[in-house]
Amino acid sequence: MAEKKIRVLLAKKKIDVHGRGSKLLARELRDAGMEVIYFRFGTVQEIVNAAVQEDVGVIGVSIMTSGHLLVAERLIPALKEKGMTDVLVIMGGVIPEVDFEPLKKMGVHEVFPPGLPGETIADYIRERVGKARLD
Amino acid sequence: MAREDGGENFRKAKEAWEKGRERYAAKLKPGTNLSGIPIKTVYTEEDVKDLDLDVMPGVYPFTRGLYPDGYALTPWMQQMVFGFGTCEETRTKMETLVEQGMEGYFGHKVFNVVYDIPAMYGIDADHPEAEGNVGQCGVHLSTPDDYDELIRGWELETTNFSLITGDNCLPGLAHIVAAAERRGKPPDALRGNSMNWYPRTAVQDIPSWEPEQGYALMVDLIKYCTKHIPPWNTTNIFMYGISEAGATPVQELAYGLAWGKSVIDAGKDAGLEPDSFVGRLGFQVGVQSNFFEEIAKLRALRKMWAKITRDAGCTKPKCLHARVHIHTSGNVLVAQQPLNNTARITMQIMAAVLGGVQSIHSCSYDETIGIPTELSHRTALRSQQIMMWESGMKDVADPLAGSYYVEWLTDQIEQEAWKLFNELEERGGYMKGLKDCWVKQAIDNSAYQRKKLIKSGELPVVGVNRYVTAEKEEHEPFRVDYAVEKKAIERLRAFRNKRNAQEVEKSIGQLEQACAKLKAGEGELMPTLVDAARKGVTNGEMMDVMRGAFGWVVME
Repeated sequence: MAEKKIRVLLAKKKIDVHGRGSKLLARELRDAGMEVIYFRFGTVQEIVNAAVQEDVGVIGVSIMTSGHLLVAERLIPALKEKGMTDVLVIMGGVIPEVDFEPLKKMGVHEVFPPGLPGETIADYIRERVGKARLD
Repeated sequence: MAREDGGENFRKAKEAWEKGRERYAAKLKPGTNLSGIPIKTVYTEEDVKDLDLDVMPGVYPFTRGLYPDGYALTPWMQQMVFGFGTCEETRTKMETLVEQGMEGYFGHKVFNVVYDIPAMYGIDADHPEAEGNVGQCGVHLSTPDDYDELIRGWELETTNFSLITGDNCLPGLAHIVAAAERRGKPPDALRGNSMNWYPRTAVQDIPSWEPEQGYALMVDLIKYCTKHIPPWNTTNIFMYGISEAGATPVQELAYGLAWGKSVIDAGKDAGLEPDSFVGRLGFQVGVQSNFFEEIAKLRALRKMWAKITRDAGCTKPKCLHARVHIHTSGNVLVAQQPLNNTARITMQIMAAVLGGVQSIHSCSYDETIGIPTELSHRTALRSQQIMMWESGMKDVADPLAGSYYVEWLTDQIEQEAWKLFNELEERGGYMKGLKDCWVKQAIDNSAYQRKKLIKSGELPVVGVNRYVTAEKEEHEPFRVDYAVEKKAIERLRAFRNKRNAQEVEKSIGQLEQACAKLKAGEGELMPTLVDAARKGVTNGEMMDVMRGAFGWVVME
């Protein structure tokens, strides 16, 4: 039997602009054999609800117009509240590297700068999905 | 060109050249540019012998520039995009930019003001979805008070307000007209630009009006300005958006021209004479990374637009002019070793200047990391000023004319772009391509191909696939204090408390009726919006009514 596909919810915060990066990543993760639910714009609550409904292993949030700290600060507790403690949470986009550590302290597992090859992110997901926890 | 020697000297030189390279010539890997046009290593008179090079600057078809002496009368406009916080923070920045020497034609002030995302989407600061976004990536402008503050003290006739709105561009214009009125000025005292770029939804994944309604609103703004503010630049053909979404330079050119033609067609269908409005359309064009390709693209753009507008029935020279504002590409900037971006930006400014454009926004080197700092933003402006005053680049109009390579490339790009343009026209035109999403699909595919080339290393990008280092980037971006959100909400509430609630309610009712009529193809919306602005209806309240009437969808 074929191995179960990794399911990724790829979302942009509500409200944001510039979809090139996230759309490319959606395509590249599909190329890498993953199932991508491209959610586009969502409030934190909408992203969490979609993640629960779609039973995803990974949530990726793309941020192009700042607000990443606020999104993370809300997203992680909201996921825990829904009992989604085994989901891998990644962020990417225009996020300053000096904010990577603060984001990780909040519980985000990894943050990626813009323009990376999708494979780099796919490799990371394969390695960490199912193992990462939100405690 | 007739030669006294019958071309004998050239033949000899070419033979010697062939001899000099025969050892390795077969091994050379053929190059291409970003549009996929094959590039040779050397160009000669043979490559341009069939081209019509009997052209002068300022003369149809304007390949060599719009003006007979290039930048001799006035250099290009420095139009840096800016805006953050509430209008107080943005006012301070305006004053700083004026001090730093940012100016437009003949010393006029030019303010290229970008709205924040909530204002662009048409929600006010107290809307739940605005949280965390107010004043972050642009200025939050919503109430008449905000607009009074924006224009306060600036002489309207010599100040250009370019309002980088989203789909709130009709409300934005209505508010600035009402603000001018409160200063005792008629609408036609205003100078500036509306974006009026609904057709960008063909390439950007953002919610906006249903396509027919989007075009109807665009034409409504054009009609209003044609009648009431003739000097206002009504419509921005946003080739930059096409470019940033992933288009090749040829695609950008072809789809941008098709977009422009779709605006002309829509205006004509609404009964406007081309000469009455086409001269107030303008282009915003991207400059990516291949220097000569971008210069050739700009030359081809002028030539092609001159033909399109003439074929559309324009006769005034001004209506045949492709006036170009350059936005240097943000997408080609990289997050790794961000100071390196200054080299990319400098090259892009040079391409714009040698391409003979009217106005430039140069990106800041740290835009891949966050909102530009004062230093990076000033450096981007200074880079333009160095090109303007130190480099000698503006001394001669179209200085690359006659270059075998540049002339050949201009022609190639033109030919390739006509192919795509005609293909799109045959399939029903730009608006159809927007509705059926082929434009988006074609550009998405180019973005994907580009990324593959970067991944494989075939397209070198320093810091990404060449000279990669593991060093951490400790660059601290500009941070907009989240307190501005609270301030914006307080301003909004204070304004709502002081306005006449009954008048506002009545005005919103009239707006609903005017929207319903426009949707049915009757009447004009802009005058009702201006009246609503006078009565104190906010940006978000206007947009709320409009979303109800004209739909709000993402084109997939």
